Amino acid sequence: MTTEDDRTGAADIKAIPVRHPGRWVAAAVVAVLVAMLINSFVTNPQWDWSTIGHYLFAGLILHGARVTLELTAIAMLVGIVGGILLAVMRLSANPVLSAASSFYIWFFRGTPVLVQIVIWYNLAFLFPHISIGIPFGPEFVTFNTNSLISKFTAAVLGLGLNEAAYMAEIVRAGILSVDEGQSEAASALGMRRVLVLRRIVLPQAMRVIIPPTGNETISMLKTTSVVIYIALTDLFTAAQDVANVNFRPIPLFLVACIWYLAMTSVLTIGQGYLERHFGRGSSTRPPARGFERLWNAIRFGRPRLSGYEDALIGNAR
Amino acid sequence: MPSVLRRPIVTAGVIALTLGAAAACGSSSSGGTSPGGGSTVSPASSSAGTNAAAVSEVPADISSKGTLVVAADASYAPDEFLASDGTTVQGMDADLAQAIGKELGLTVKVENITFDSIIPGLVDGRYDLGMSSFTDNKTREEQVNFVDYFSAGTSFFEKSAGGPAVTDLNSLCGLKVSVESGTTEESDAKGQSKTCTTAGKSAVDVESFPTQSAANLALSSGRADVSMADSPVAAYQVKQSNGVFKLVGASYGTAPYGIAVPKTDGTLDLAIQDALTAVISNGTYAQILAKWGLTSGGITTPGINGAIS
Repeated sequence: MTTEDDRTGAADIKAIPVRHPGRWVAAAVVAVLVAMLINSFVTNPQWDWSTIGHYLFAGLILHGARVTLELTAIAMLVGIVGGILLAVMRLSANPVLSAASSFYIWFFRGTPVLVQIVIWYNLAFLFPHISIGIPFGPEFVTFNTNSLISKFTAAVLGLGLNEAAYMAEIVRAGILSVDEGQSEAASALGMRRVLVLRRIVLPQAMRVIIPPTGNETISMLKTTSVVIYIALTDLFTAAQDVANVNFRPIPLFLVACIWYLAMTSVLTIGQGYLERHFGRGSSTRPPARGFERLWNAIRFGRPRLSGYEDALIGNAR
Repeated sequence: MPSVLRRPIVTAGVIALTLGAAAACGSSSSGGTSPGGGSTVSPASSSAGTNAAAVSEVPADISSKGTLVVAADASYAPDEFLASDGTTVQGMDADLAQAIGKELGLTVKVENITFDSIIPGLVDGRYDLGMSSFTDNKTREEQVNFVDYFSAGTSFFEKSAGGPAVTDLNSLCGLKVSVESGTTEESDAKGQSKTCTTAGKSAVDVESFPTQSAANLALSSGRADVSMADSPVAAYQVKQSNGVFKLVGASYGTAPYGIAVPKTDGTLDLAIQDALTAVISNGTYAQILAKWGLTSGGITTPGINGAIS
């Protein structure tokens, strides 16, 4: 460091950082608003913290939260596997497969997920029995639709099949983002299409696929609340059920919100790790998040710039 | 609740009462207004005009805005359901609301909303009245006041073909029952479930839907074995189903329907009670009930908070 100063004569220059009065004013406004909100938490009895505390860990609410998590996990699994399959079909050289995939995406993306769930749930209205047999021929095994598709299955089908349509487009974008030279080179080495896809294209596509998939997962966690329409007891339905008895819907919905926030926070952290894992080979690092920067500012006394800007002004640590 | 804050409005109500009595001169007496229910008033209304006694009891904030906002869940024909335009709420409750509004000299606006949101909406002050086939019971009376105006029990209905044998609540053990969220049917079925498990039988699988229409759909697709609704509603929906549904078992628990009034709205409940008394005595009430085929549930004297259980 000293050698650099000697060389440039920087020691003689008295550098004064540029003042940012606007930043201080904006920060003060935000701080006052936050203080007002916290004051309301303490002084406004309508928040009803005792009710919130009483039901936060109530059995029915915890059961609902578990159902919400299970639904999210299974529906996303269906969505991701289905999405990859549909994206590959869409990009396939086979026109029938490509058209079928396009049709699927058109239909499932074009109708509301709530309507789809209600239809899956009431499928027995259209088909009271589902059987396995030769098409248009004899039937070997016949199932009662309602016992085959449980309430939970109907929810998974509705949420998962709808998600697959969205995931298909995300995966397709990821696949298209990988330079064509990669698959050409792999083909030149004698790899077949499936192997090229599995070993060369998909791993590189993951870096583009992961962020929107994390987004979809967080979105799914909250979309599961539509199952109230088929009387499946998820987190929101559980809160509504309790509110129907004690007539305190807002505190109960706040209980649900606290759980939704807790679960999405965990998912957000998980997404960060996944992004880091699949971004290993890339030169651009994801920038620090808002909370991280606030923490740094509190620790170091002034806002840190992003790594790129730091490097530009020679602050790289 | 902040009762101190209500004081100016009560005072304003007294002033309005004085003015109302002055305006009613030449007509008959302004009537008794003792709280606690069952009070009767000699009708002060002419056939077309407003009821002076009732008008005088309307809180100032409502009379100054001139509108009564009434909340109803329009999935409960013939008590409240949507007209063919898809927005107007029609049915017995909507007609009674209009008749009461006429007595009070107020414009009535009936809004459609899910049943389980009505009482919270009244407590929050979003609506002035809830008229949506509310059974007046003790639990709900802790939240709102009820002006009782009708009498109904609860009935069971199921698919005409191959449904289980249901006679009363006790035969629900082990069955899937579809009900509307927040109704007395929901709490009855859930309570019965506990009775079943205590007696060592299988629990009732209670499926609660946001609307009665969704509960009916679950019944027709075989998701539920039996559904429950207020007797007149169950009878009407079975009739409308063209033979898909049938009534089963015996109706039970005849209880009053009440017009839900926020507890913070001063003497609005008395105003509604007096207006309803006038609607009954001038024959409009009987006409409305006859129009919807509900004459058998009619009452003669509206009380306040007359819950049986």
